[in-house]
Amino acid sequence: MGATSVASPAPLNSAPSSFPSLKALKFTTKQQELLIRVSALALIYVLAFVVRLFSVLRYESMIHEFDPYFNYRTTLFLTKNGFSEFWNWFDSESWYPLGRIIGGTLYPGLMVTAALIHRILHFFSFAVHIREVCVLTAPFFASNTTLVAYFFGKEIWDSGAGLVAAALIAICPGYISRSVAGSYDNEGVAIFALLLTFYLFVKAVNTGSLAWSLASAFGYFYMVSAWGGYVFIINLVPLYVLVLLVTGRYSMRLYVAYNCMYVVGMLLAMQIRFVGFQHVQSGEHMAAMGVFFLLQVFYFLDWVKYILNDIKLFHSFLRITLTCAITVGVLALSIGTASGYISPWTGRFYSLLDPTYAKDHIPIIASVSEHQPTAWSSFMFDFHILLFLFPAGLYFCFKRLSDATIFVVMYGLTSMYFAGVMVRLILVAAPAMCLVSSIAVSATVKNLSSLVRAKSKSPQGSGKPLSGSKAAAKASADQSLPFQKNGAIALLLGALYLLCRYAIHCTWVTSEAYSSPSIVLAARGHGGGRVIFDDYREAYYWLRQNTPPDAKVMSWWDYGYQITAMGNRTVIVDNNTWNNTHIATVGRAMSSYEHEAYEIMLSLDVNYVLVVFGGVTGYSSDDINKFLWMVRIGGGVFPVIKEPDYLVNGEFRVDKGAAPKMLNCLMYKLCYYRFGEMTTEYGKPPGYDRVRGVEIGNKDIKLEYLEEAFTTSNWIVRIYKVKPPKNRW
Amino acid sequence: MAKGTNDAQLLVQSLRKAYAATPTSLKIIDLYVVYAVATALIQVAYMAMVGSFPFNSFLSGVLSCVGTAVLAVCLRIQVNKDNKEFKDLPPERAFADFVLCNLVLHLVIMNFLG
Repeated sequence: MGATSVASPAPLNSAPSSFPSLKALKFTTKQQELLIRVSALALIYVLAFVVRLFSVLRYESMIHEFDPYFNYRTTLFLTKNGFSEFWNWFDSESWYPLGRIIGGTLYPGLMVTAALIHRILHFFSFAVHIREVCVLTAPFFASNTTLVAYFFGKEIWDSGAGLVAAALIAICPGYISRSVAGSYDNEGVAIFALLLTFYLFVKAVNTGSLAWSLASAFGYFYMVSAWGGYVFIINLVPLYVLVLLVTGRYSMRLYVAYNCMYVVGMLLAMQIRFVGFQHVQSGEHMAAMGVFFLLQVFYFLDWVKYILNDIKLFHSFLRITLTCAITVGVLALSIGTASGYISPWTGRFYSLLDPTYAKDHIPIIASVSEHQPTAWSSFMFDFHILLFLFPAGLYFCFKRLSDATIFVVMYGLTSMYFAGVMVRLILVAAPAMCLVSSIAVSATVKNLSSLVRAKSKSPQGSGKPLSGSKAAAKASADQSLPFQKNGAIALLLGALYLLCRYAIHCTWVTSEAYSSPSIVLAARGHGGGRVIFDDYREAYYWLRQNTPPDAKVMSWWDYGYQITAMGNRTVIVDNNTWNNTHIATVGRAMSSYEHEAYEIMLSLDVNYVLVVFGGVTGYSSDDINKFLWMVRIGGGVFPVIKEPDYLVNGEFRVDKGAAPKMLNCLMYKLCYYRFGEMTTEYGKPPGYDRVRGVEIGNKDIKLEYLEEAFTTSNWIVRIYKVKPPKNRW
Repeated sequence: MAKGTNDAQLLVQSLRKAYAATPTSLKIIDLYVVYAVATALIQVAYMAMVGSFPFNSFLSGVLSCVGTAVLAVCLRIQVNKDNKEFKDLPPERAFADFVLCNLVLHLVIMNFLG
């Protein structure tokens, strides 16, 4: 503390009377508090970054999963060719022969952000490869999210709640799952944008300032550019406005905040080509427009009431205006919906309101594992103590209702509903849970520590130091319960214990469950040492180095992005899944007999077929386990593919008792070619499939139209070359 | 009905009387709002006649009118001395915010015009 006199000579010189000479060497209470807060925030910032680095330390700095490879490829293109080329890019290397208008069908926020960071680093002579920037973008933005969470918590409650919120969200597994280092996906940036937009909007409502409202419009623009989940914002904010209007808590500040954000935000959002005119044409965005018009009418009536100062006249005016407004509104809405101008809710979002819709109507949406409803275990896994702190926080919010707390309550409740419908949306609920729980933690700890500090005798209080006179005044007031101080200390220790368990749980979850790159698999060998399966990259690099540059590769759509990014070859279908018929064609080819599939492959100019097979290693996310989805999607468009043909008594089998169509379809042949001679496990017959746990039914497979080109060292990826058609004579 | 028209006349008269009491600066802002909304209506009528082909141009035109009208109303709210919530806000700050938001609005409009 003695460095103060050297570090800050100015206060000593300019205002010597405010610091008595004894206290000149100590920080004041305010400065101490600021120091504690800033250092806590700095530690939280670093923590949020560091906890996401497990996979970089264990494996290497690489991009994980499937979707991030597309983002990486587009970012690479952006840094090499500039923004104008990127914005107008038509890619002929995917969805052969259709191609894909990449410039108009992606959300550019993530790529532009990474390219910008890359350019800034190069400007300062840090010659970093774009891949490193991409890998570390998500942890960097997670750290920024903790800062925004701090300010948001401060806005809702106080700075203590802000600090707790920042700490909770830094390690919350629900957020970590989609923002580890290497997970270069839209959500990493989008959650930052979401929280920033909400914070700026709440700040605008609290202050009524046009400047904050403009800032929230920019935050909304960033969110729209980053992720399709912006629909949540454009529906939650109008819902919030509606709730405030209905409960009578509206004010002029609300009008200023919502209108500026809506108009400027909507205009900015329409600059993104992928979003286009949806803000005025799509049913999902109509709530915002409806509330906009409602606000105009509402506040106009309010103004008229104010200047008229006469109830009876105002009532007649009210009647006229209301009938006009309601007729016009209902008429416009019905004409728009009936004529099809206002498009109904798209399947992706409609399945959130009606979870059974996708299973019956759109098998592609139903097949994605992230779109399944959430199990209880996922909630506990991703939220831990936040699950019971959330209701406690809701109680505190209701005790001290203000515009900001109402917003957080609504955000929490709606996001919890959606998190229950779809696993992927736990991510959106995570910031809300952290914010509301932080209120509970902060308020409880404050109450308990004020009880502990109640006695004025000893200055050894826990928590921030208070001046002696205040503590003495409090002590005389609440001497009500005996052992009050001991009980408070015990409860404080209990709270500390809970928070420690939370930190331990989060670190364990991150380390065990959310840090695997998915493209590199690891297992424990016999001696306990770690065995790494790098088969995917082996296969993609084989493709890159051993096939002609214009070769077309057919595989299931999961691997499309990785093949184009790493193998640098044209694919037939990829993860964008925008064309269901094309995917169904591939599905039909995979589930037909070899000669029928050969016709389809010739029509698509396919040169190589790639399948993923886990029978040798026990890797269970292989194509045989996904096969039924291929059948369903193919059968959805081509009725000749019928799912019961591949099942025996409704059961999916690959052993001797399997359906004959199953034993002879292309996927079966390609996966199990030459597998019949292979012994996979000690004591089991050759051809024992370790994933399905059975000996396969058709061991003697002969391929007539394809030949095996490459099988990786652990048989996980198998590539086959399509033979050219035979000569006629 | 005579009573109905009488009511309407009374309504219009008292509205006119109450409105005459507002300060001139607010009346200027109101005039600007009316002008902007009228321009928007003219654009909609034009679109109804010739069709909406470059839809982005139509949208940017209409939204610039609606946007600037809405921002002017926000300015009016902030500058109006009868609003207790904004009594600490200096009118210069309110006007500066208004100018800034209009600037951003029109920059976006010019990008969107096509």
